[in-house]
Amino acid sequence: MEKLSYVGKSLPRKDALIKVTGAAQYADDREFAGLLHAAAVRSPRPRIKILSISDTAARRVPGYVTLVTYKDIKGVNKWPVVLQDYPFLPEKEARFAGETVALVVAGTARAARKAAALVEVKYKELPFLEDPLKALEKGALKIYGKDNIFSSFVIKRGSVDEAFKKAAFTVEGEFSTNYQVHAYLETQGAIALPEAGGGMTVHSTTQCPFYVLDAVAAALGIPYHKVKILQTVTGGGFGGKEDVPALVASHAALCAAKTGRPVKLIYGRKEDFQSMSKRHPGWARVAYAADKNGKLTACRVKYVLDGGAYSTLSPIVLWRGTVHAAGPYKIANVDIKTYAAATNKVPCGAFRGFGQPQVCFAQESLIDELAEKVGMDPVQFRLRNILEPGDKTVTGQKLNSSCGLKEIIQTVRKRSGWDKKIGDRESGIGNQGDIVTGIGFSVTYYGVGLGAKGRYLDRAGALVNIYKDSSVGVNVGNTEMGQGALTVLAQIAAETLNAPYESVRVEEVDSSKVPDSGPTVASRTTLMSGNAIIEAATPIRERIFKTACDMLISMGAGASQKMTAHGGLFYMGGKTVDFKRVVAECWFRRHKMSEQGWYAAPRTTFKMEDGQGDAYVIYSYSADAAEVEVDLKTGVARVKKIWAAYDVGKIVNPRLAVAQAQGGLLQGMSWALYENLVYKNGIMVNPNFTDYVMATTADKPEYDITFIEKPYAEGPYKAKGMGEVPLIGVAPAVANAIKNACGARVNSVPLLPEKIWNELKKI
Amino acid sequence: MPEIIVKPSNLKELWEMLPGLPASRRYLAGGTDIVTANNAGAESSVCWIDISGLPELAVIKETAGSLFIGSGVKISEIERSKAAARWCPALTAAIPHFASPSLRNMATLGGNAANSSPCADGVCALVAEGACALLALRGKKRRLPLKDLFLGPKRTALKKDEVILGFEIPKRPRAGAYLKLGPRAYFGISKAAVAVTAEISGGVVKRVCVALGSVAPVPLHAARTSAWLVNKKLSAETIAGASDLVKAEVSPITDARSGADYRREMCGVLLERALKSLAE
Repeated sequence: MEKLSYVGKSLPRKDALIKVTGAAQYADDREFAGLLHAAAVRSPRPRIKILSISDTAARRVPGYVTLVTYKDIKGVNKWPVVLQDYPFLPEKEARFAGETVALVVAGTARAARKAAALVEVKYKELPFLEDPLKALEKGALKIYGKDNIFSSFVIKRGSVDEAFKKAAFTVEGEFSTNYQVHAYLETQGAIALPEAGGGMTVHSTTQCPFYVLDAVAAALGIPYHKVKILQTVTGGGFGGKEDVPALVASHAALCAAKTGRPVKLIYGRKEDFQSMSKRHPGWARVAYAADKNGKLTACRVKYVLDGGAYSTLSPIVLWRGTVHAAGPYKIANVDIKTYAAATNKVPCGAFRGFGQPQVCFAQESLIDELAEKVGMDPVQFRLRNILEPGDKTVTGQKLNSSCGLKEIIQTVRKRSGWDKKIGDRESGIGNQGDIVTGIGFSVTYYGVGLGAKGRYLDRAGALVNIYKDSSVGVNVGNTEMGQGALTVLAQIAAETLNAPYESVRVEEVDSSKVPDSGPTVASRTTLMSGNAIIEAATPIRERIFKTACDMLISMGAGASQKMTAHGGLFYMGGKTVDFKRVVAECWFRRHKMSEQGWYAAPRTTFKMEDGQGDAYVIYSYSADAAEVEVDLKTGVARVKKIWAAYDVGKIVNPRLAVAQAQGGLLQGMSWALYENLVYKNGIMVNPNFTDYVMATTADKPEYDITFIEKPYAEGPYKAKGMGEVPLIGVAPAVANAIKNACGARVNSVPLLPEKIWNELKKI
Repeated sequence: MPEIIVKPSNLKELWEMLPGLPASRRYLAGGTDIVTANNAGAESSVCWIDISGLPELAVIKETAGSLFIGSGVKISEIERSKAAARWCPALTAAIPHFASPSLRNMATLGGNAANSSPCADGVCALVAEGACALLALRGKKRRLPLKDLFLGPKRTALKKDEVILGFEIPKRPRAGAYLKLGPRAYFGISKAAVAVTAEISGGVVKRVCVALGSVAPVPLHAARTSAWLVNKKLSAETIAGASDLVKAEVSPITDARSGADYRREMCGVLLERALKSLAE
């Protein structure tokens, strides 16, 4: 391959300066003439029948403008997500504590909040469901359909019962994981501006501007071409700004449509906790069987997600969990059954890892238990069973050469000093007193992109436009939310055009500039938008290169020589011309300097009936080793160091990739050890950062991060995707390390000191 | 947020101001509790009286027998105070566990006490220091052992509008420790905390005060455990005995932060470790 100028280099983030100086304009920073403010009126109880909503008392608040209820919806009162069971505003019944039942509009945000508190909702309490496992029982109260099941999937392969009968070793265990709150620094928010002629422009902090477009058009009952979504600088997402910003923006738009004035709706932290999406609590019963040589022969999984009151993204989250539920292993006999259950709690949706971390915690914990039974080192056991190029996954998908799982395991094993540390533990070296140390391992794989279940959304557009002054504007449909998309995509555009990196600007999404590019999720942005940019830039590149060649020849370079291009310059026979001059010449020649690009993911063959076929177009891989310290008296566990290695294809920006890895590891560790959202009688008890505890930098372990770049032929400059990959395997690695340190197997996340202490008492 | 915030510039001005203020009023010292409560929807006073500018509350001074720490002194100032480091060993040990550096730049011991949370790190340590609270209401001043200021969660013996002027800590050479079991490495509300000060001579405990956080309705002065320890040699047996005793003296609850059994057991573990550190 040609030497690359920008891809593979740690170039500075495009948005670093505006963010560190505070100049970045987040949703709440935007001001408009005549702006009004909205605040939500929320259901106080887990499940209510709404009898009446009155603003009599609220009207006395100075600045009060109006109340907005479902009656103000001109479109269809169904938020278009997957199953369309969530109304924009409830008509008769509200299904979780914190659900928006109405909105209040006032002259100031403070007046709006005050008035919202004075709106009187008369209601009758209805019986409610809190426990997803109970929701699946036959005699359970029905809150969704006939069986409280939003969605269910299977993967069937081989003869599982027979394999378990014949097995030399079997293990079975039940594992559970709690919620995780995205805790983005910027809470949800949107500003809606009515346009003359019945249109609506919406400024939204979002990962998925096209979901916002769908929802606003539906709520207002107006055609898409009258709606424009402008993504504001987005202060964190992690999946929490996938679906729900569409709801928030629709509420702002309903208020704006009713008042005819711009309306800002910015969430406080408490209501954001109570009503916005979360990582699903998960429950899994997993069983593995192995032969006498420690070869996995069968896997049986029952996996349940607590979907909350509305289905939102549960079907898709569950599907990803289903596909990956057995782990990255060769297993001939598989029986996986999965369910997303309805409960009267906050609807759960996307969160980095998307249904995988919950079941990965279960299966990777259990793989350690099985290795112990077989009498093998857990790393050796994994090496014996992992997927390698040419192997088939549990869905029967044959893996291509872009699979570096074996290498990354060996890398982590070596770099962590695994063999010596495990040996020391077994011979009792090093641990005296109340503090003991241990080390644990995990491996994962991650299907990049939306896969078979989301295939119709798996396409992306780009607009590349080179101005006369040679500055390059790039519009894409996927968003920057802190992960570095603006930077990585600018590198890809600069590389393809041979434009100076500084001259390329990728903008926040404007839904009117590019076609619907699907959501910014599933670690798909580099792959999808990157490829779309390459498609758009390629014809322009040809014009630029041809023009540069002509110019160099006219400058006296011998035509027989080969032109080279690097870092914004073109060279031939000792002559040089820069990008700026070439672009000026292109414009002089009236070349087309703007192009649209489009990339659609290759077809997948997965069948929902039996869960067989190609589920995703390509997989990324991770291996983690965590070293922990456990206080035997208090049960407090501290992660000292995490060694991680990844195969995410070609690394476009190494510094950003390391940052992604560090962020994912810390977020995964925080979920594993600390984060504990508590519900009591259908009410969230700790919707705040005082009592919802997350890791701080003081809890941060030391990191050792390695990338093994297995090129993906279809990827932009051979990249795959990595955003979610680093989080997934952390919890089981930590749990396995705790087991290794002190003998306590904790099978529920978070791995709180109280739970470790309880297990220690049993030993 | 309140409708009005007023900021008197000295105590005299405060007393003059009070009659004209709405009845629904609260003092604002560092703001680190009241603003959090406000954000959580748990604070609804119409008026906040910002006492962070009162010079009378902002001093640390030594007299012959005691050290006075003004209620309005920022925690980070106490952190830098040589006098506090010399005479308040438990408080000094507690400060690194007190919230975060940025909050310590705002928070005060007065607010920590007036908020009357059983998990207040600063207050728990001050109880172990044997501190007294000096209170004032208009012209009238009174002095109260700090442990008696607390009546229950968010309930104190303070009268309406009464101000905590500061805390008096007896100047006696002694050792001290503060051990906290929080939800993470730092910056968290304790599940259990133990503060101890002790005067030890020839290995024998002459005078001791054990206080505990987050395991009773108030920052708890463990009177029985403290009394039992006096005149005992600080041996392994004594330490084990004290940690058994303290487990019977606390009355923890189960809530979203931790469980009662665990908390009770941890009081024993923390006291054992605290006493061991003093014995060494």
